[in-house]
Amino acid sequence: MPTLQIILNTLLAVMVLLGISLMSRVKTAVAGNLLSALALFVGVVATLLFNGIVSAWTLWPSIIVGAWIGSMMARRVQMIQMPQTVALFNGLGGGASALVGLLSIHGATRFEQVTALLAIAIGTVTLVGSLVAAGKLHRILNQRPVVYHSALFHSVLTYAALFFTLWAVVDPIRYGDTTDMTLNALAAAVGGTLFGWLFSIRVGGADMPITISLLNSLSGVAGAIAGMAIGDVFLVAVGGIVGASGLLLTQIMCRAMNRSLTSILLATPKTPKTPPTLPTDQALIKRVMDLEKRIQELEAIVKNLEGRVQTLTTAIDSMPAPSAATPQDVEGTTAASVLRAAKDVIIVPGYGMALAQAQHQVHQLATMLERRGARVRYAIHPVAGRMPGHMNVLLAEADVDYEQLYEMEAINDDFATCDAVVVIGANDVLNPAARHAEGTPIYGMPVLNVDQAPQVIICNYDLKPGYAGVENPLYSRQQGVFLELGDAKETLQQLMSAIG
Amino acid sequence: MTSPLFLIAVFAVSTVLGYLIIRQVPSLLHTPLMSGMNALSGVTIVGALSATGVSLLTGGGWLSQTIGCLAIILAAVNVFGGFGVTHRMLMMFNKKKK
Repeated sequence: MPTLQIILNTLLAVMVLLGISLMSRVKTAVAGNLLSALALFVGVVATLLFNGIVSAWTLWPSIIVGAWIGSMMARRVQMIQMPQTVALFNGLGGGASALVGLLSIHGATRFEQVTALLAIAIGTVTLVGSLVAAGKLHRILNQRPVVYHSALFHSVLTYAALFFTLWAVVDPIRYGDTTDMTLNALAAAVGGTLFGWLFSIRVGGADMPITISLLNSLSGVAGAIAGMAIGDVFLVAVGGIVGASGLLLTQIMCRAMNRSLTSILLATPKTPKTPPTLPTDQALIKRVMDLEKRIQELEAIVKNLEGRVQTLTTAIDSMPAPSAATPQDVEGTTAASVLRAAKDVIIVPGYGMALAQAQHQVHQLATMLERRGARVRYAIHPVAGRMPGHMNVLLAEADVDYEQLYEMEAINDDFATCDAVVVIGANDVLNPAARHAEGTPIYGMPVLNVDQAPQVIICNYDLKPGYAGVENPLYSRQQGVFLELGDAKETLQQLMSAIG
Repeated sequence: MTSPLFLIAVFAVSTVLGYLIIRQVPSLLHTPLMSGMNALSGVTIVGALSATGVSLLTGGGWLSQTIGCLAIILAAVNVFGGFGVTHRMLMMFNKKKK
């Protein structure tokens, strides 16, 4: 029997992996998701059969209640609420793992006892951390990172969490059979709660993609460890896969924000804002090289501009004399006139678009420009929004074709050659200061090269620095920048009626 | 009981395999991927079911039944909600197909 069970579980794990690999392409992703769900369903049925617990009547109402709540939430939730929904579900999974751990603390072997306690600890970290994250995303809790004033208080809490967790887990290793496990379970839960709280409460809005990815990873690990506690291979395997995926996404997000995971976990403030006091030779050389690089960039832009002037001149020369110019053209260029003339437009969405729920207007604008013969693409920064891939989902909701969505690396060289860029509620991800402003939080973060575009239309709510608190030099650029401030929904509407 | 070493090996292998496969997913699909993974983390329902069921049939008390049923409910919300949301998102990506 166990052999059969192991074979089946391995098959199911392979099915899950297959489902995930199908999720790497849009066309097959739906099938992939269904395949993973099917694997899970078969796994549940197999568990019921192999353990001979079909007759355990308490299971059925519980499944039905959970399934009902889950399906209802899945159907009701709006796309804009996706980050907090994912965080919430994630927390529930972690909580369930903690409870499974709690059920198995009286296991026969030390391995079972220790893994059960670990499952409680990691499960509660996930539960509490996710609930705090979801609360922040849903704006029940303050979005700003909460850093306790006294570093001492913070360290005391951290050490307390560490102590509780370690004691809970190490204790049964030493006195396995004699200790009363209730106390250990309690300590593990308290330690986990403290860790989860400390971890999430000080994370600000822009670091949310990293937090959610990491919590996702933790929920997988919690499941896997709970699986170890009860000796369930399928649970261990799938938990491992989920853990790996969350970790991978975390890595990707960290790289995109130029932050190290430890700096987020330990809440070390990012590079302090102290200017370099003694410029050493090294620093001088670096600065010269940076300036050198900047000059090269500017040269490339000028070259590009010269080429455009050339093409425009020849185009105008070869044109028959216009009968009458529209008044706006005489008055000078406006955002609308720029867009009217543009043949190659790149749209840069950010969290502001999500806040204003302006994705439909963005799509309308794009369609309008396309009808005028322009090529429209979307440049998606990996950390734009509050969760990995946030912008893609919102734009997909507004019927934007996913083939028009480009990742940063794929489109960054095209900003210099496009006609116009429309920025919607994005700031930090395109702040050119990230390249030069040493000592600021965003220094070194890869950004979209919006500043290289000849014409930039910025539809942001205001000119305040973004989450990172660094002024965007683009706002004060003299030429080729049009600021359309206010609620993106309205400004886009105005822009569209101006284009006509 | 399955041996601890075997379980740890399974964990290690699935982590590595998962890592390699998930690396292929483009950032376009990261949100559905994440919510799909999130739904999968509800796999802990398997553990909740077996722990609760075995406990009931071997005469466990009402406390463990309460804990167990709560675990099943939470995990079921996670599974059904997670897969449902993922499915909805993926259908959005697909509806543009001409």
